[in-house]
Amino acid sequence: MKQESWFRPYVTANFWRFLLIAMLGVLTVLFACMLMFTSGYLISKSALRPENILMVYVPTVGVRTFGIGRAVLHYAERLVGHDTILRILSRMRLRLYRILEPQALRLTSRYRTGDLLGVLSDDIEYLQDVYIRTVFPSFVALVLYAGVIAAAGRFDPGFALLLALYVAVLVFVLPLISLLLTKRKNREMKQARNRLYQKLTDAVLGMHEWYVSGRQQQFLTGYEEDEAEVDRTDRALKRWARLRGFIGQTVVAVTVVTVVYVAGKEYAGGSLDVTLIAAMVLAVFPLMDAFLPVSEAVERIPLYGQSVQRLKAIGHGEGSATTGYPEQLSLSRGEVDAVIRSGAHIKLEAVSFQYDANGTDAAHSAHSPAAPSPDAAEAAYSTTAHSPDPADAAYQPEAADTAYQPEATDAAHSARWAGATASGCLDKGTHALRDISLDVPAGAKVAVIGRSGAGKSTLLQLIQGVLTPSSGTVTISGTDAARFGDDISSVISVLNQSPHLFDTTLANNIRLGRPDATEEDIRQAAAMAQLTTLVDSLPDGLHTRMQEAGQRFSGGERQRVALARILLQKSPVVILDEPTVGLDPRTERELLSTIFSSLQDRTLIWVTHHLVGVEQMDEILFLEQGKVVMRGTHDELMERYPRYRGLYRLDRPGA
Amino acid sequence: MGKDLLGYRGAKTTFLLVAVCTLAQSMAILLQAKWLAETVSALFAGASLQEQGGTIALFLLAFLLRHGVGAIQQGIAQRFAEQTGTSLRKELLGVLFRRGPALIRKEGTGNVVTLVLEGIGKFRKYAELTIPRMMGAGITPALVWLYVFMTDRISGIILLVTMPILIAFLILVGLAARKQTERQLDSYRMLSNHFVDSLRGLMTLKFLGQSRKHSGSIRQVSEDYRKATMRTLRVAFLSSFALDFFTMLSVASVAVNLGLRLINGSIELLPALLVLILAPEYFLPVRMVGADFHATLDGKQAGEAMQSIIRASRAEETGKPEAAETARNAGAVGFGEAAVAHAATTDRAVTVGTPLSAPILKIKDNSTYRESSRPVFRWDDCSMLELSGVGLRHEEHGPASLQDVSFRIPCKGRIGIVGESGAGKSSLIDLLGGFAAPTAGEIKLNGVKLEEGNRKAWRSGVTYMLQHPYLFSSTLEDNVRFYAPDASDADVRAAVEAAGLIDLVRKLPNGLHEMIGAGGRALSGGQAQRVALARALLGGRQVLLLDEPTAHLDIETEYELKETMLSLFRDKWVFLATHRLHWMRDMDVIIVLHRGRVAETGTHEELMQLKGVYYGLITSQMEGVG
Repeated sequence: MKQESWFRPYVTANFWRFLLIAMLGVLTVLFACMLMFTSGYLISKSALRPENILMVYVPTVGVRTFGIGRAVLHYAERLVGHDTILRILSRMRLRLYRILEPQALRLTSRYRTGDLLGVLSDDIEYLQDVYIRTVFPSFVALVLYAGVIAAAGRFDPGFALLLALYVAVLVFVLPLISLLLTKRKNREMKQARNRLYQKLTDAVLGMHEWYVSGRQQQFLTGYEEDEAEVDRTDRALKRWARLRGFIGQTVVAVTVVTVVYVAGKEYAGGSLDVTLIAAMVLAVFPLMDAFLPVSEAVERIPLYGQSVQRLKAIGHGEGSATTGYPEQLSLSRGEVDAVIRSGAHIKLEAVSFQYDANGTDAAHSAHSPAAPSPDAAEAAYSTTAHSPDPADAAYQPEAADTAYQPEATDAAHSARWAGATASGCLDKGTHALRDISLDVPAGAKVAVIGRSGAGKSTLLQLIQGVLTPSSGTVTISGTDAARFGDDISSVISVLNQSPHLFDTTLANNIRLGRPDATEEDIRQAAAMAQLTTLVDSLPDGLHTRMQEAGQRFSGGERQRVALARILLQKSPVVILDEPTVGLDPRTERELLSTIFSSLQDRTLIWVTHHLVGVEQMDEILFLEQGKVVMRGTHDELMERYPRYRGLYRLDRPGA
Repeated sequence: MGKDLLGYRGAKTTFLLVAVCTLAQSMAILLQAKWLAETVSALFAGASLQEQGGTIALFLLAFLLRHGVGAIQQGIAQRFAEQTGTSLRKELLGVLFRRGPALIRKEGTGNVVTLVLEGIGKFRKYAELTIPRMMGAGITPALVWLYVFMTDRISGIILLVTMPILIAFLILVGLAARKQTERQLDSYRMLSNHFVDSLRGLMTLKFLGQSRKHSGSIRQVSEDYRKATMRTLRVAFLSSFALDFFTMLSVASVAVNLGLRLINGSIELLPALLVLILAPEYFLPVRMVGADFHATLDGKQAGEAMQSIIRASRAEETGKPEAAETARNAGAVGFGEAAVAHAATTDRAVTVGTPLSAPILKIKDNSTYRESSRPVFRWDDCSMLELSGVGLRHEEHGPASLQDVSFRIPCKGRIGIVGESGAGKSSLIDLLGGFAAPTAGEIKLNGVKLEEGNRKAWRSGVTYMLQHPYLFSSTLEDNVRFYAPDASDADVRAAVEAAGLIDLVRKLPNGLHEMIGAGGRALSGGQAQRVALARALLGGRQVLLLDEPTAHLDIETEYELKETMLSLFRDKWVFLATHRLHWMRDMDVIIVLHRGRVAETGTHEELMQLKGVYYGLITSQMEGVG
């Protein structure tokens, strides 16, 4: 499949803007040159003591015009430049979202995904730099180069050739050498910084252990050695940058001397007016200033590579089928409504499922770029749940083109990326479901219990139609689950371990369950989720923003907000995916009791890690390595299995 | 700006060297202008090129000298910035590892890592740029102006008058821009976070069936964001526009004025040309300060944030909590806030607390760091642990986490710690582990009091198992060896086996050498606990502290892990804090906490008969959910 680049389309789409920016850039330099040129001309002409002051009227006006004009042009150039960048940014964001949206459920589940997506969004922010710091300056330099040589050529071909040679050193030779010299060092430094980031993060997250072990000094010594290594490379790079700057200035000096020489010669030969000597010499300085930054601009190119690669990797699914199921087989709205009215009878018949060796499911191998099996992700979650969140790289308007430090932040990104795409669990390929049958009529309540990696998440994804079984069928009221596509959300809603609360008001967060809900509906849903006391304690009630309220919200309260959403959603089936992990027993009980009472007339499929509340279920399923090892009602299990009795006692310490 | 740098070691030498360089550079600028003007005016007067060869060579020399010295100056500043950054980092890391988890909990993991890695980089950039820029702006314009004034008074006056106008406008525009951004800060934050927020919540949106429609909202918000940003930029870019505008206008005025006087004949071409060449040089240093202003502001703030952590910690270590609090508040600039908010908090903080010159590189002779590790505390079968009137407050005037906690444990055993959320279980574990110092009362082992001086020795006797044990990004074996790097392979095997990890090791392709932790093989929660258990066993320490080790695990894993753990608890001092009351039947003593106080102690059976707090906890867990 053909892959669209993350660079060219934006240049094409903004062609006229780019042209305008380049024009403004070129004009800014020209005006600066003309200011010095006309100044030189003005004083030379005046030095000839013209009889009438009007003889220098034109250059007098010119000097002022060019002076003011340069400042205005530069201002306009920066504004148009940033406006264009922001337009591109907004299109790239939309594109990234559209690429990710269809694969959302297929990407590894839970926490790490958020981290991974955060990295991608930062990558896009990075790509702004390509334009501001590399494309624009280089382009302006090239246009000027061509223009200046052409102009000089009309005046004196020999001089033009010489000038072409000098500037070529600044625009082509020096940048190329710079790129070759620094590429390896830059890459080394980037990798070293990634390692430092990982090492330090590792140490900070594991601080308890270092602290207790008493081996702190050992770590510090090792860490400082690594830092010193990076500093050495950094020093070498900076030394080269200084040398390069000096070489560039030498070229400028040689150019100035050449201009003096040529001007003197031409004047002596009578082909140059005496008033132009000073004018030409003075104009050289601002002109050369435009060529000096090219080396730095080009040197940066390798820095963008990683971001582009990551975006490309995630874009592999772009343009392919969005639902993973043939379009013509998907359901019409009416059919979905019929299923909802019927109450959605879920049925699994002899379902087996197997991941292929790459960790993706056989049916959709093309769609998940960085996704090991969901159960592997679950395992990863439970051990490495605390990822540091470096300060948000918020767009900083004033500092936009000066204060960006890609090196260090980039290290953080790469490391986060590596963490987020951590390799999968053991038993890949055997993590499957084998011969599972399950009948969940409308209103039934089923609990699923199993160790991490037992296949719980796979089971849920099959029911949601995100995965299709290798054999057997998964149907909802007789229709293949996979055929629902995006409409599945109107049949099944999900309350998982870490529902996302968006940075908007509490009311808007609840409204996400049903966008057309009235204020009264929201209030009712909040009341049913027993949020009323909490809402009353907030400064603006339901209209308090989450950012402010978020800090105050405990785990149980966040779950209640998510529950209120689901209450509005009114889907006949609700999947509860371990919503009480991490809550203390009292909160766990209270939340469960709210959940059960408010969802009593809906079908519940509840994945749980404890046995609190299982008495109320119509069926309890124990999964082990993809198979059902125990099933039945609570009473049946208590009677039949000593193992179940043992487990149950853990949750009933007094019995 | 830049004054705070003076406190660092080697700063004075650096300032001096940079000043000398700037002086040399300024002289080169003057000479370069002089010789260029001479050449051009001589040519103008009809001199031949050959005659001017010498002057041209001198110009070339002066020009190269100027940039050569510039490069050397940058090198000096860079070296200083690197060294200062390194010692600041060493000190910060020293504090971090000395204060340990308490500091990280307070500052946040992400914040700490960002501060050390990115903050140091920013601080270095600040140090590297600020010194030459300040010197440049202080010395060069003055010298250039003096030379211009001596050459031509009127031009000198024009330049002199322009500079304050320029600076005044710069400040005015800067203030207006800040006001504008501050007004929009909230909506900014919201708009710029919207996209990340959307991606992070993508799964939730999908579950809610809103994800498709949401792309419209992304387009809308991105556009709003662009418009809001452009509104601010229009004002923000005005400051550099003001710089440009007044510089250019001033150069133009000088040129026009010179032209008019040349026509009158009141001035010659040579001085006129000289003044014209020097006029832009007069403004250049100030424009460079303007250009680098924001980059350096960022670094300055990072430096302050780090210094305030160091100061606060030092004050706390020397036992002056109030000083610590002031230092902390004074420097409480949240590092990494949007640059737009920076300006408001720039020039405070530095003067509070200990002077800056002292701290750098003093880690080595800090006595608390190098205390002896004699076995002050012996945890034997019949050691006596005694807490009397122990209290703990995390903040000076905040609520007490623990109050008047007194109990004695006369010999080795398994001690359960229970209570509702917030009853003080974790605080008690922190105290018993030596991670926090009690703010009242005392803890004694065999009559030896636990105090600041021997806290490290205390810690070397304990092992701590968290709810989410941390697995280092390393091999499984290294993780197990963490407390005992020199343990024999046989001991490692034994520990791995005892912790019930042997089946896992057999399945791993590289066995004990498999990489785990971030970026390596993902382990399940239960497996991670077993690795921590093996680590604790191999460490061979007598005391095992556990804080809620199994609550997050699925019940089957919990069941199996409990069996392994109980068998290993037999010959240790065990303190287990948990909500999972099923552990309590296997405890020798249970300490029941209620609102920071010890409510009752005893065995499970005793406490059940008492029908007190513990009984209440048990019965509430016995009720069904309904």
